[in-house]
Amino acid sequence: MTNGRWDPTDDAAVVLEMAAGSEAALEKLYDRHATAIFAAVYRMTSDRGTAEEVVQETFLTLWNRAETFDPMTGSLAAWLHAIARNRAIDRLRAIGRRPSLVGLGALSAPDEDPMQALERLAVRGSVVAGSTPADDPETAMTAAATRDALRHAMADMPEDERQVILLAYQEDLSQTEIAERLGWPLGTVKTRTRRALHRLRSALGSEFAPLADDAALPVPAGEDR
Amino acid sequence: MDHEETREQLELAAVEPGGLDRLMAGDTPLAQSVAGHLAGCESCTAELGRLRRSSAIIRADLHEMPPADLKSRTLAAIRAEGVQRPLVTATPGVAVMPLGDRAAASVTDTAAANGSPTAATRPRRTRTWSTLALVATIAAAVVLSVVTTSLIVGRRVDDQLAQQALTIGALEHVTTTTMTVAAQPDSDHVQLAGVTDPALDGSLVYSPGTTDLVVVATGLTEPAPGYEYRCWVEVNGQRERIGRMFFGGDLAYWAGATPAIAGTSSPRRFGVSLVDLSAPTLDAQPVLVGSD
Repeated sequence: MTNGRWDPTDDAAVVLEMAAGSEAALEKLYDRHATAIFAAVYRMTSDRGTAEEVVQETFLTLWNRAETFDPMTGSLAAWLHAIARNRAIDRLRAIGRRPSLVGLGALSAPDEDPMQALERLAVRGSVVAGSTPADDPETAMTAAATRDALRHAMADMPEDERQVILLAYQEDLSQTEIAERLGWPLGTVKTRTRRALHRLRSALGSEFAPLADDAALPVPAGEDR
Repeated sequence: MDHEETREQLELAAVEPGGLDRLMAGDTPLAQSVAGHLAGCESCTAELGRLRRSSAIIRADLHEMPPADLKSRTLAAIRAEGVQRPLVTATPGVAVMPLGDRAAASVTDTAAANGSPTAATRPRRTRTWSTLALVATIAAAVVLSVVTTSLIVGRRVDDQLAQQALTIGALEHVTTTTMTVAAQPDSDHVQLAGVTDPALDGSLVYSPGTTDLVVVATGLTEPAPGYEYRCWVEVNGQRERIGRMFFGGDLAYWAGATPAIAGTSSPRRFGVSLVDLSAPTLDAQPVLVGSD
């Protein structure tokens, strides 16, 4: 997860481990950076399928060309984001679309100062287009905290609840479609959806929390609460 | 409709795109009931507002989260398509080679066939590779791997032992697959011969019915960084990638599903080529070839 809980300078050591053949090191780097890369590409392309493909290609490039990463010229996060951004632009050009205008923050690595990012892009000759102003620091911090809270809530959620809420919000499936996909009774899907939603709303803070707590929700037969 | 029923309908609508707007349109009996309750209930109306805001945040955030299985798919793609590195897993003894990896086997390289005339006309070797001979060769590679590792001392011994466990696990898989494929009524053996180096030798066993295929070769040495040996099959002049050759002991091998060998009566030609990963193509001159 890209949430600042690791020392970015440690990335270089992990890349060395990976270059020596450690798949565990590759997984560690994926865990650290994939979420942020996916989010950045999704913001550029508004297409989850493209974002998935770009993440795969980016980490394949990392694996194949680890030796070309030079920690003296920039962080691994910046390197990976540059690869991902180029791949995303290639795909958008291939289908005749322009990249969405995004703020500089979307082009920066999580550990990169916006001015550093601008310098990096300018040196490479990248086109940096204008867009609506980025959020002010306080708003950006709040948004980051919200994302972090939601991701923790998702991680702590029982698997059956996580499944239904992801199908609902990520794949835009209706309750009936989720029931068909998972082979669960519709009532079970509804209950699990509501419980998952309660958890996520509670994670967002008191101003978003539901009035009723989980105790009000029925528990499907055979399930522990 | 009471508070609880109303909130249930609101929550279920909130997770569907445009669901709350549809519910508020009031054009169904259920929607009219909800609207009727909201008109006289301040707390449920406030709840509707909170739901709208929170659901929008959650939807936007979850759309930016990668699917949970993307990690396993990415790792599988790297195993199938990435350059060969001496893979080491966090769990010694768990094989991570892409043996039987259908994704790898199904990747098509549309490069035109370009086998050398020498290779195309080279007679098949008279030496017969029986299933037992294949298995014996694989067993010898396992023994070699064990002996080599037993001589290793120093701080890298743990890594080497983990690598040995992987190699043995992979070779066991190759052995098992060989026995399974050879037991199929439609199984066929193909002898592979070195194109320019007579020291190279190999064998291939496959079943068009199950599409499982095993190829082993001796005499090859692990390629330099940036290169890999790839096994391919050619049918009607069309080459398709089978997979990347792995190394254990002095044996190079690949085992797994190969859809390209299914359902055709056309002659098949098999080969192994050294591929430059900076410009990967199966057009490269084969080092081993054979036909059925």
